[in-house]
Amino acid sequence: MSTTAASPHPTSIPPPPPPPSTNTAFPFPPHYHYPPFFSLQPTASTRLSQLHSWSTLIQSYCRHHRLFALSLVDALDSDLFWNRKLGKRLALRDAREVIAWMAGTEGGERAEWVDGTGKKGRGEEGRCWVYWRRPEEWAGLIEAWVDATAQRGTVLTLYELAEGDATRSQEFHGMDMELLQKSLQVLVKKGKAQIFGSDDQQGIKFF
Amino acid sequence: MFLRHLDLTTALRPSLHPDETLLFVQDAVGLYEGKYKIPEYQNGHAYLTSHRVCYVDNEEPRKNSVAVELKEVDRAELYAGFLKSSAKVTLYPKESKRSSYAASPRSSLQPSPTPGPDRQSSPLGLSSPTQNLANATWVCPICSFSNPVPSNFDVQTASARTVLPPCLTCGIKPPLVHVVKAALATMSNRTTSSVDNRTNGNDVPSGAVSTGVGSSVSTSSGRQCRRCTFINHPSLVSCEMCGAALTTAPDPRIERVGHGQRNESPGPSRELGDDNSPVESIKLSFRAGGEKIFHERLKGSLIQRKWLLQSDPMVPSASSVTPISDSRNAPQPGSSGTSTPDRAKLVGIAGLELRGQELRRNNEIVIGNAFEDLEALMTSAKEIIALAESFASQANISGNSEANAILTQSTSALGLVTTKDMLGSGSESLYLSELSRNLAEFLTDDTKGVLRKEGGIMSLVDLWAVFNRARGGVELISPSDFEKAAQLWDHLKLPVRLRRFRSGLLVVQGRDRTDNKTIAALLLWLRDLHDEPPEEEVPWDWRMYGRGVTVQEAAERFGWSVGVAAEELDMAEERGAVCREQALDGLRYWENWLVGIPGVDTFQTWI
Repeated sequence: MSTTAASPHPTSIPPPPPPPSTNTAFPFPPHYHYPPFFSLQPTASTRLSQLHSWSTLIQSYCRHHRLFALSLVDALDSDLFWNRKLGKRLALRDAREVIAWMAGTEGGERAEWVDGTGKKGRGEEGRCWVYWRRPEEWAGLIEAWVDATAQRGTVLTLYELAEGDATRSQEFHGMDMELLQKSLQVLVKKGKAQIFGSDDQQGIKFF
Repeated sequence: MFLRHLDLTTALRPSLHPDETLLFVQDAVGLYEGKYKIPEYQNGHAYLTSHRVCYVDNEEPRKNSVAVELKEVDRAELYAGFLKSSAKVTLYPKESKRSSYAASPRSSLQPSPTPGPDRQSSPLGLSSPTQNLANATWVCPICSFSNPVPSNFDVQTASARTVLPPCLTCGIKPPLVHVVKAALATMSNRTTSSVDNRTNGNDVPSGAVSTGVGSSVSTSSGRQCRRCTFINHPSLVSCEMCGAALTTAPDPRIERVGHGQRNESPGPSRELGDDNSPVESIKLSFRAGGEKIFHERLKGSLIQRKWLLQSDPMVPSASSVTPISDSRNAPQPGSSGTSTPDRAKLVGIAGLELRGQELRRNNEIVIGNAFEDLEALMTSAKEIIALAESFASQANISGNSEANAILTQSTSALGLVTTKDMLGSGSESLYLSELSRNLAEFLTDDTKGVLRKEGGIMSLVDLWAVFNRARGGVELISPSDFEKAAQLWDHLKLPVRLRRFRSGLLVVQGRDRTDNKTIAALLLWLRDLHDEPPEEEVPWDWRMYGRGVTVQEAAERFGWSVGVAAEELDMAEERGAVCREQALDGLRYWENWLVGIPGVDTFQTWI
């Protein structure tokens, strides 16, 4: 029924996804149809397993729909957190816990609060990155593509990377600009690329 | 032969015979045979019951526990202890061989026991009923002073017009019924005892039989008044304090049965005597005190000879029925005369109704009589218990609740209890350990099945209530003592255990009942739910996941109380066997599919 839910460990890199197909329905894992899945468990071991399952579900759901960030309040109304057939929904507080766990080292840092902490009272009600690929992994993918297409030394615009025809077959095609920036910063820090330009018209040169 | 093997209950206390009652318990007791210590029998509990003296070893209770039958004990002596030597109670066995063979020379050699029966038989056997009435007393219901019944008072002719003297102390006139009852009670007691004494005097050579009563009453303690317990000088015939006659036996009915029994006993005891190596004496050494009370109660039970009652339990009812009917008739003369012919005439429903009425009236009288005073309650205990049981069974038919079922058991539990005054040296720890054993027995007793009815587990509070109820409202146990006693189960290695749930709830369950067993039972149930379709349509795949259960359902299913069920489910959840679903309609527990993939049998891991 689902290959995506079968890998319980979130730190392992998920296999390459099927070509982006937003129109096909996401195959939910069996847990999704299990009512207790929507109540966060108090028992440590069960809870850990449950958080793993949620983490896997969120990542694969986001990859399927090519979502790079979630706004929790909106997402709670989506299929991801709301099983309409069961009439069960993960509570906002529990969803926050799931994301917080994913963001921590225990969850493999598979998520990150956009505003830094995700705490209430900062105006932003929980918008978060979902790293079904971590920035380092994105950086690795981009670097590998640059290598493969022999474009070292050339200058590419960020728009070209994300939306250009040349990257259409690549996974990072259509990537969120902010996340792309983050990923490229990784390369910059390693000294493998340099970003220049301003605001909308940024370019990058790979060394 | 003198020391017999002792059967122990599950809680390592002596298992008592049906009519046996526990009188006293003392710890830190050692056993001596003659002058010498018996090895391995040096640290244990001494239990004094109405029938036996039991020693239960602390270290090896199953192996080193012995009992001495009181019927084989001739007398008991108290040694007060000196410097490092602890106080001891010495039990001398009856020398059955010699006493039966050489009854006559012994009786002439030992003149001291003989006065007992002589004293009893000579004045009383010849006494007329009017003389008896001179000794009769009625207890004032206002000030509880014992007044003599006027010598010219005649039960037969007494009526509402009879002038009764007021109480000597408070000056209040007694109700007529009261005095009639007192007079009748005295009369019936005297007549039975005098008859017995006469037959006794004819059949049995007096010296051979009288040893137990005669020696202990007259030699060591003077003559204790039966009514006020004052110990009078031996030569007095009536009590200095309250004026009661001192010549009566402790309980005339017991005496009567006792004499009847003893006529038959020499046969078997002689056989026993043949292979009997002469044990001179058994000593109990009391290293932690308590010897005085032990000795006193031992003397008491040697006198009472409860073991003789066993053979003829019907005596109390036979002798106490007469006063009951008399006392009913006396205050309302004429009523008895009319009722009997009426019943003969009436048939059909009216007859049945009348019979029911009669029965109820009789019950009323029995109860009324029994609760009038403590003495009466003691003597008519058997009737009252029978009545209570019949009431309880009637209540059961209509109510049929578990509490009622336990109440019916309460009467039988009366004899089983340890009370504070049974224990020597006032030591708290002994009381608690005895209470603890008591509780364990109560719980594991198969006939009561207290634990079984509660699904093998019950909260400590429930147990406390049931136990105190079973004690019949006397000698209730304080909650703190109760908890302390329950905590001793582990220490005493008893077959029940106290468990503290996460929430702090204390429950009681059998030692063999582990968490894993509970979980296995829960999972088995949840697995069964995979096969039976839910009552209403459910959106999930019930064949795969089964369904969630509520605490109430679990409580119902396993016969637990709701609190216990919640705790057990929490425990199972904590162990990862089940998980929870917080829904709008409450909390439900599911088989845990969050850990482990569906299809893999989680159940297997819990067996």
